[in-house]
Amino acid sequence: MIYFDNAATTAVIPEAAETVVRYMTEKYFNPSAMYHEGLSVKNDIERARAGILSRIGGAQGKLYFTSGGTESDNLAFFGTKKKKNSRIIISEAEHAAVYQSAMVLKQNGFDVCMAPVDAHGAVDTDAFKELLNENTSFVSVIHVSNETGAVNDIVKLAEITKRAAPGALFHSDGVQAGGKIRINLNGAPIDLYSLSAHKIGAPKGTGALYAAKNVHLNPVIVGGGQEGGVRSSTENTAGIMAFDAAFAACTEKLNESFSNVSFIHDYIRSALAFADDIKILSPESGSPYILSFCSGSVRGEVIEHAMEREGVLVGTGSACSSNKATRRIPEALKLKGGYAEGIVRLSFSRFSTPGEAEAFVVKFKKVYEELKSHVG
Amino acid sequence: MSVEYNCILIRFGEIFLKGHNRKFFEDLLICNIKSALKPLKYTFLRSQGRYYVEDAKEETSEIVSRLTRVFGIHSVSPAVKVRTDEEELFKTAIAMSPMTGKFRVTVKRADKRLPFTSAEMAGKIGGALLKASGGKLKVDLFDYDFELNVDIRDNGYSYLFYDKIPGAGGLPVGCSGSGMLLLSGGIDSPVAGWLMAKRGVRLNAIHFHSFPYTSELALQKVKDLAARLSGYTGGVKLFVVPFTEIQYAIHEKCPESFMITIMRRFMMRIAERIARREECGAIITGESLGQVASQTMQSMNVTNSVVTLPVFRPLIGFDKEEIIDISQKIDTFDISIRPYEDCCTVFLPKNPVIRPKIGEAVEYENRLDVDALIEDAVQRTTEEFITSK
Repeated sequence: MIYFDNAATTAVIPEAAETVVRYMTEKYFNPSAMYHEGLSVKNDIERARAGILSRIGGAQGKLYFTSGGTESDNLAFFGTKKKKNSRIIISEAEHAAVYQSAMVLKQNGFDVCMAPVDAHGAVDTDAFKELLNENTSFVSVIHVSNETGAVNDIVKLAEITKRAAPGALFHSDGVQAGGKIRINLNGAPIDLYSLSAHKIGAPKGTGALYAAKNVHLNPVIVGGGQEGGVRSSTENTAGIMAFDAAFAACTEKLNESFSNVSFIHDYIRSALAFADDIKILSPESGSPYILSFCSGSVRGEVIEHAMEREGVLVGTGSACSSNKATRRIPEALKLKGGYAEGIVRLSFSRFSTPGEAEAFVVKFKKVYEELKSHVG
Repeated sequence: MSVEYNCILIRFGEIFLKGHNRKFFEDLLICNIKSALKPLKYTFLRSQGRYYVEDAKEETSEIVSRLTRVFGIHSVSPAVKVRTDEEELFKTAIAMSPMTGKFRVTVKRADKRLPFTSAEMAGKIGGALLKASGGKLKVDLFDYDFELNVDIRDNGYSYLFYDKIPGAGGLPVGCSGSGMLLLSGGIDSPVAGWLMAKRGVRLNAIHFHSFPYTSELALQKVKDLAARLSGYTGGVKLFVVPFTEIQYAIHEKCPESFMITIMRRFMMRIAERIARREECGAIITGESLGQVASQTMQSMNVTNSVVTLPVFRPLIGFDKEEIIDISQKIDTFDISIRPYEDCCTVFLPKNPVIRPKIGEAVEYENRLDVDALIEDAVQRTTEEFITSK
């Protein structure tokens, strides 16, 4: 099987799986317990916290562990203070966790605006600037687009934000960035940054929200006061420790992985030129881990299933043409006609190989020609 | 209520009307009831045209919920069974009563050897309740808040109960033979199947699967619908026919506007082939007149003309809203609206023919090797017996 849907989730790497077992069977103690064993686990968690913070250049700030990227985004939106009815700006191509959080705030009276994106899914800086006003209280722009891999210059966008609206908070969803591209929040005017564990070889169910030093968060989940009172619930120690282990492993090989994956990305990208009705959506300078394209004549879902039969698992942009929720991203990318329903997303991991890329291209050409002969 | 229900009384409906065949219908109904209650432990009794489920360990509500899905049952009542003894009856009636409001007592006395009439006994029990309530209860035979029913049977026991919970009605599944339901995954077909099962038809279902154009999720949806229907029928045999090659062939050789018409003729032919093999007496579809282009009189004539088995279309005169109402009642709606493509939306023509003619369809089909395509699809058809558990 060739697995090219790593942006959806990844296999757990052995180091992370071993860590999980250790913290479930040996170091299973409650970190809030007052005996030595509890304290020892608590210290481990603090080491993991510091480790992850240092890997994103966030040592000056704080990190709160959550149940995943979605909860981190929710906490950023609902745990921060915002002036009543003030302006909130998100990009048009945000992940649903951010988009739906913004929609809740819109229902509560906030003035939610969408910053347009270009055909590759990156925020249009000039259009973004125009939306900013003094009344803006919160901005959220995805770091690496989960749809196309486009990388937004969040430091620059945050600087622009702070100039126009000094009091506004700047959040970024970094779920597809963590462990894959270099992140440096040190000195950047970024207030909040979301991370997820299961996209980089740790298990599902763990994420984190970074908050800059002076950013205050109100809890969305209350209870025993864990995570500095910001996120109650007994710590998911196994998940947190595995997150740290996986993140460390990814960071250690960051450059090497980046160039390997770039090779795969570029190889498939140029091979796709065989079909004149396939448009590449991913920008050339984006994250190599994601390669999105769309077909003007075959629906993405059909390609997905046809590739599945060949033993290749890929993602799609659109689950079903009759499903309204899935039209948001194709519309943001201004895709017309068949192209809007023809999105396919390949996403790689640092373990993807050139051999897999080659096999993919062979199988894809065969499947695509066959499908096209029937629908063309 | 300070006393627990220890029995459920079952009344059957239309079977009453049956003459010589009544035993056949009753045996089938009892068999279906026992199958619906598997694997629970209980005692089953028949007495004077009623059934009783007693000594069950399971919650009464669970048994009631299962029984009210069995076709052929008119109504059920959770009841308290006691020995027919005046003191015992008074005591139980008092324990069951809410002790406030307006009430009436209705007694039915099957045991005519007893030295009192039904009305006299109703009066006595009513009197005992009035006395026990200390004036909080009032008798009102017409405008009452609750009615305590007391059935005095000739086996030495009486049954006291309040509610008559309506059953699913209809006839026991199986008494009318078997049918082959075209199950697409939409809202209509499960409702059509349910309506026919209600008239005693044992259901088989056939689904046309167009992988890779429709997904495994779409197939799972159909299996889930079949499982819901199984709650009423005791089980559904589901046939899944690979349909992509036939669609390819039609798409390649026939005019786009006839895509759906010819596709449906293939579906009917395949359904009939398997229906005959499975000894089904009819094909069942969820068609409703005029709902879409393939459901006009002319379209149905053209699709119907390739089969000789009767085609039942129980929804033919139903509005969409009426169909949705039933699908919500039978819990299939939530599954039907899951957003996956079904085989009919693949290669959907922009302008489907609304009034096709049989001659045209035959002419276009002459371009295809119809028999070989059908043979291949039937050969590759898979089957699975789906139950509600």
